[in-house]
Amino acid sequence: MDTLARIPQLLVYGVISGSILSLGGIGISLTYSILGFANFAHGDIMALGAYITLGVLTLLGGWGLTNTNFGPLSFGIGFILALVISMGLTAAAVVLIDRVLFKRLRRTGSIILMMSSIGVALGLRNILQFFWGPQPHYYVQGIQLATQIPALGIRVKPDQIFIVGTAVLLVILLHGFLQYTKIGKAMRATADNMDLSRVTGINTDRVILWTWVIGAALATAAGALAGVENKFITPELGWQMLLSIFASVVLGGLGNIYGAILGGMVIGISEEVSTAFVSTGYKPAIAFIIMILMLLVKPTGLLGKRR
Amino acid sequence: MDTLIGIINYVVFFAITAGTYGILALGLNIQWGYTGLFNIGIAGFYALGAYATALVSGPPPSAWDGRIFGGFELPFLAGLLAAIVVCGIVAFLIGIPTLRLRSDYLAIATIGIAETIRLVLKNESWLTNGVWGLQQIPSPFYDPIHGGVKAFLGNHPDLPGWIHSLFSKAYNWFYLFLVLAILFVLYLIIERLVHSPWGRVLKAIREDEDAVAMSGKNTFSFKLQAFVLGAMIMGIGGGLYAYYARFISPSSFKPLYGTFLVWVMLILGGSGNNKGAILGSFVVWGIWAGTDFLTEYFPFSATQAASLRVIIIGVLLQVILLWRPQGLLQRERKPSKTL
Amino acid sequence: MSLLRVEEVTSGYGEMEVLHGVSIEATSGEIVSIIGPNGAGKSTLMKTIFGLLHPTGGTIVFKGNDITGFNPDRIVRQGMAYVPQVENIFPSLTVHENLEMGAFIRRDDFRGRTEEIYELFPILKDRRKQRVGKMSGGEQQMVAMGRALMLDPQLLLLDEPSAALAPNLVDMIFSRIIAINRTGVAILIVEQNAKQSLRLADQGYVLAGGRKRFADTGQNLLANEEVGKLYLGG
Repeated sequence: MDTLARIPQLLVYGVISGSILSLGGIGISLTYSILGFANFAHGDIMALGAYITLGVLTLLGGWGLTNTNFGPLSFGIGFILALVISMGLTAAAVVLIDRVLFKRLRRTGSIILMMSSIGVALGLRNILQFFWGPQPHYYVQGIQLATQIPALGIRVKPDQIFIVGTAVLLVILLHGFLQYTKIGKAMRATADNMDLSRVTGINTDRVILWTWVIGAALATAAGALAGVENKFITPELGWQMLLSIFASVVLGGLGNIYGAILGGMVIGISEEVSTAFVSTGYKPAIAFIIMILMLLVKPTGLLGKRR
Repeated sequence: MDTLIGIINYVVFFAITAGTYGILALGLNIQWGYTGLFNIGIAGFYALGAYATALVSGPPPSAWDGRIFGGFELPFLAGLLAAIVVCGIVAFLIGIPTLRLRSDYLAIATIGIAETIRLVLKNESWLTNGVWGLQQIPSPFYDPIHGGVKAFLGNHPDLPGWIHSLFSKAYNWFYLFLVLAILFVLYLIIERLVHSPWGRVLKAIREDEDAVAMSGKNTFSFKLQAFVLGAMIMGIGGGLYAYYARFISPSSFKPLYGTFLVWVMLILGGSGNNKGAILGSFVVWGIWAGTDFLTEYFPFSATQAASLRVIIIGVLLQVILLWRPQGLLQRERKPSKTL
Repeated sequence: MSLLRVEEVTSGYGEMEVLHGVSIEATSGEIVSIIGPNGAGKSTLMKTIFGLLHPTGGTIVFKGNDITGFNPDRIVRQGMAYVPQVENIFPSLTVHENLEMGAFIRRDDFRGRTEEIYELFPILKDRRKQRVGKMSGGEQQMVAMGRALMLDPQLLLLDEPSAALAPNLVDMIFSRIIAINRTGVAILIVEQNAKQSLRLADQGYVLAGGRKRFADTGQNLLANEEVGKLYLGG
């Protein structure tokens, strides 16, 4: 197919991929802005969320809750339910990890925390592999028919619209939370200045709790949506996306949530469009190159430091 | 008697791998232990070193190979030299844009570098034979030693069975000697370097880079030197691996696992302490090998056992970070600090 | 009625002792000024009182309760508020949101209090939706003080409130400080701008080398020749 003619379709793939990268990236920027370290375990938290969703889904299926699908989508109410439950379970797991591990290491500095998070990343991945095995697990069954939009030269599947729509919805909810709720404002205040937060009387422990919960919930959504898009998941899911997610976050500005969204879209689209010119095997390398260029030109990212 | 021989042979094999990891740990120690560079891309240099060695010392492309490059069949030292040079050049090129970055960014960048190296090794079949890997890498002095031992055993068929078992693996003994000798030499060289004025600057940079910069020194240049030197040493480790394994492919260098293992070795042994780096590699490799035996006693599948072993090392790391982050052998303290 | 009593407090950073046994006192509704050269330990004293540093010796009694060694989050609940010298506002939040954060631990409806703060600082009234990071130094200082007042403290600690301000704004800030005091809040000020802060002080202390050198009313200290020569620039 003519290279230029492929681009609109690749843009579509880019938006879908970008939505997932954005959801993953927001969690990393959120953690970074409040807790001050880059959480390398975030990709594997996404994988954890994806697998827990699958597990809950299977459980619900046993109770006959997954039989009907929403119209043209590959899944029905069961999936939504499983996703919400899974967000809670994953958040609980992440809070546990923080209590047991990261909280005690907070005083020692960001490098030790990063090191620890790498250990957690590998640990989570292998726990998933221990229980589910390295082989792919299927998320949705069957082949879905794509709708053609000849005017734009693209084909879109209903599932893909759902992915982008869910991402948009979650971002809007997050924005509302941060702007209009007391704890949301406290999170923004703590991201500005944790010491001043304490002096003001803000309960920073509660802020940190919410940070992990929201980050984990978004990661779960990102992992599950990746499962819907790729049709199957493996324990390596998180690691495979981690470099692209970090690139998105750095591109947008580490610690800046809106930067993570912008960066996610740019990286997602760049990766997909690059496949018209370069072998698909190099997609993560594209993200990496963009990130390095950003770091050379403006290390604080497109939108600057944490908002 | 046979079990004893079996154990001895296993210990030799164990020590070769532990020694190779020790070399990697020494390299990381220069970068992180002494200079404070958070390099998570160890596997990249390890792989580069192995591939450089294999391409220089290995046989030319066969009819089945996808590659068209390499296979100069050069001897051992040339192979190691190739590893050193390639790693040095690559480290220099990537060091220039990345070493000015803060630790978090540097960590992310080094992961990206290792991944990119892995992708290049996997995709550029014309150079590396892609996923099929490089075969028949000749171990140094294999033919003379193996042939000699075989001849000796052949001429003395009356020797007891256990001597036959012992000597049949005689090449491994030689290789172990080789690895330990190189490890020792590197240790001496590095010890010399870190206790020199150059080394003191590195340590000062780790403590307080701004202060060093203000005293007029070009901290970036020093960091680059440390980074390149560490990478070259890691390349030697990769080369030694290639010569021993005699076959390498991109899957021999699973992303992050090797890197992670070396980090745990250095942290457990004691970052900033070269003896610690070597001690750590033997201890952690011992634990890793130990978990191999342990999992045999439980009804786990092969992949489950593999996962469990990684989880154990992961937990080990957290335990160290929580209770003894300085490691077994502490960083050597400057005299002024104890006053 | 004695509000704050600091007795023979020693404090410092790690192994470095900065305060070598300082005693000061503040009564309800008073303005107490602490002046002295750089490095005298003025800020250290303030941080120790608020619990950001824990004293190695001595006691601190607030409203009759021993608060020695308490952490800031406990002290703030006792009715004391603190405005740091630098980074004392949340730049990415609006004026109104900064005040809201000040009232974080309040469980009641504090809208009335917010309006009172806007009465004290009328300039902020029209700017309530503005992001504080974009405001001038003087406006930020007012937001910082307003934030601290949201909890109706009996004692307000101000660490060098005029430090980063242009001279014409210094007067404005001091006038706001007097206005705050008139609402019944006792104020403890640490200041480089010695003369002006002594002028509005009911009680003044001169700190030097980690020790109390002089203690008297603000007026008397201003008139004191020795104090004038050593600490007020003649």
